[in-house]
Amino acid sequence: MSRPFTRGRLLAAGAAGAGVALGGVGIERLATEGDDDGAQIVPFYGEHQAGIATPAQDRLQFAAFDVVTSRRSELRDLLRAWSEASARMSAGEQVGENAHRLAPPLDTGEAVGLTPARLSVTFGFGPSLFERFGLGSNRPAALIELPAFAGDELDPDRSGGDLAVQACADDPQVAFHAVRNLARIGRGVVVMRWSQLGFGQTSSTSRAQDTPRNLMGFKDGTNNIKLEDTAALAEHVWVGPRAQPAWLRGGTYLVTRRIRMLIEVWDRASLDDQEQTIGRRKESGAPFGRRGEFDRVDLTRTPVDAHIRLAAPTENGGRRLLRRGYSFTDGMDEDLGQLDAGLFFVSFQNDPSAFIEVQRRLAGTDALDEYIKHVGSALFACPPGVRRGGYVGETLLS
Amino acid sequence: MSVRTASLAATCVAAALALAGCGGGDKQSGGGGRAVDVKLTDAGCEPAKLTLPAGPVTFEVVNDGAEAVSEFEILEGDHILGEVENLAPGLSGHFSLTLKPGKYTMYCPGGKTERGPLVVTGTGAKTTAAGAAAVDRYRDYVEAQTAVLVARTREFAQKLRAGDLGGAKAAYAAVRIPYERIEPVAESFGRLDPDIDARAGDVPAKEWTGFHPIEQALWVRDTTYGTGVLARKLVGDVVELRRRARTIELEPAQIANGAVELLGEVSKSKITGEEERYSHLDLVDFEANVDGARAGFDAVKDLVAVDHAALADRIEARFADVSAALDSYRSGDSFVSYSELTKADTRKLSRAIDALAEPLSQVGAIVAGQ
Repeated sequence: MSRPFTRGRLLAAGAAGAGVALGGVGIERLATEGDDDGAQIVPFYGEHQAGIATPAQDRLQFAAFDVVTSRRSELRDLLRAWSEASARMSAGEQVGENAHRLAPPLDTGEAVGLTPARLSVTFGFGPSLFERFGLGSNRPAALIELPAFAGDELDPDRSGGDLAVQACADDPQVAFHAVRNLARIGRGVVVMRWSQLGFGQTSSTSRAQDTPRNLMGFKDGTNNIKLEDTAALAEHVWVGPRAQPAWLRGGTYLVTRRIRMLIEVWDRASLDDQEQTIGRRKESGAPFGRRGEFDRVDLTRTPVDAHIRLAAPTENGGRRLLRRGYSFTDGMDEDLGQLDAGLFFVSFQNDPSAFIEVQRRLAGTDALDEYIKHVGSALFACPPGVRRGGYVGETLLS
Repeated sequence: MSVRTASLAATCVAAALALAGCGGGDKQSGGGGRAVDVKLTDAGCEPAKLTLPAGPVTFEVVNDGAEAVSEFEILEGDHILGEVENLAPGLSGHFSLTLKPGKYTMYCPGGKTERGPLVVTGTGAKTTAAGAAAVDRYRDYVEAQTAVLVARTREFAQKLRAGDLGGAKAAYAAVRIPYERIEPVAESFGRLDPDIDARAGDVPAKEWTGFHPIEQALWVRDTTYGTGVLARKLVGDVVELRRRARTIELEPAQIANGAVELLGEVSKSKITGEEERYSHLDLVDFEANVDGARAGFDAVKDLVAVDHAALADRIEARFADVSAALDSYRSGDSFVSYSELTKADTRKLSRAIDALAEPLSQVGAIVAGQ
């Protein structure tokens, strides 16, 4: 019991002004010391930020914030505090130790006794951030609002933002805890602009993971970049060592798209229609004319407007995206009485134009357009990883 | 009003969600005080009598299978100093107090013997001169506000008696202000706050008294008719509140946490339009709550600024942000109706309160024991 602040420690001394413990017993660590926590910890510090080329977890809580302070020093202090808190939470520790019974607890407490759950916290800077704090000259040329695509029905309240926080974990409560505590730390400096919960990966990011299915019931992300493929990561994901501006080297660009699926319409499409739309067999995931999921796509047998054909790198000058999306549902669409569900698309690439080109080809042409609507959109530049003792965005703000 | 019966007192609610924040096991309270174990049994509190030296103490309360008793309170006269409630059999809870020498009551409602004496001996931890000055400042504020409250309530009752609907409506807005400024004080006197300020549904319909059934008559039924009995009781209740407020024992930490509670009131019932659901005067109450929080902070500010100047500055700046946010909704010498606010408006106001309340919540621990 030597590690300080571990979530599992009794929250006894100085927890809250007053409180209740079930059965008079303190909240004990569920996983005892010596458990295999190591495998459940994704290190926060490193060359690149976690949550990009680390294996995709089961759950997502994403939040975009707008900065409300006009003082650059407050923004820097916030990023420092966020980095420290994220490092602790990623290690399965509490945000801080409670100092006094009359003070609110430093950590909100709901992750006590839970495992680290492979929590990763990834930060990004939106184009609008660079309009302030004298950051204009540091804005990468590619960091501008995504262009309008055919068929976009974007809701401004679900789009954009100055700062992005992507928390992924295998336990939804751990992911929620991370965003909640970061929002709390940021109160008065940032306000939340929008937030998205995700469940169920829609892309595997490791060869060790099976290809998951999206809410259309199809395997998704078969040809995704895998983290074992370091050459592809260097070529397509990480901003290179000679790129400008220098502060973004080792970083990447993050695109999010909230893609609503017209579930009710899709569910009454015939199997044949569904497979023609996607360009793969529903059950096996195999391309047309092939037997296995990972068999090469035969374009001569793939419909011209099938989704995988238009999205394939071979059709897009070889440019590839690292996809890391999640399924979502936000309950029911109040206006239509239909399920509000779909894909929260997340991709990382070292140049936003890679996404833009693919999406230009898809929008208005993709057979899938009949069953989906893009309702939210955002682009962020993710700075490189954080060194121990440093903070995220240090290369930009120091 | 809030549903809690004791504000400005250490409260503990045994909601299932509240459990992780405060575990048992540790016998040191934050201030290094002593811990006292109390059992709830069907006979009442155990021990039935207690003598303690003055100073900080944490009551560790466990329900030892009592079906009839689920609550433990420490009373000074009929003023609740601290309590745990909703302790079903097997549950435990705790709260901390700094006790001064004197006679108190341990109260286990529902037990065979409900009350037992608690005698606190010695000289107690001395409040510092600065701490005493802070308490005096806040006491003066409470005295001034309760005086205004009594005077305005009498005027309000007069208009109602005279059947002056327009005059009564105007008087209603004015009389809410002093009450909302000191609400946590009122909440520490058991039934007084619900009697004065309960909203429809907070209490059984036949026990619904105070401001809000009158508000309903004035704005929904458009009449002063039938408000006579309510008005008479209201005057009696605010006079009683003023009398009791003069005897209340306060510590700097209670004042600071009372300020945070006032902002909690804003978040919970003003920014949602629930408090003044008939008259839509919620922004009037909003400002009064903020005024009251400001007065609480001003009272203890000197104690904070000594070692935490940056925190004090941040709180000042955020009070200014809240004022600026409110200013855009002023209309004459009052505010626009809550019903005119858009979602973007309430969001802006709500966030300004959150940004203020977060650093303000750090103050209680800093001024404790001063």
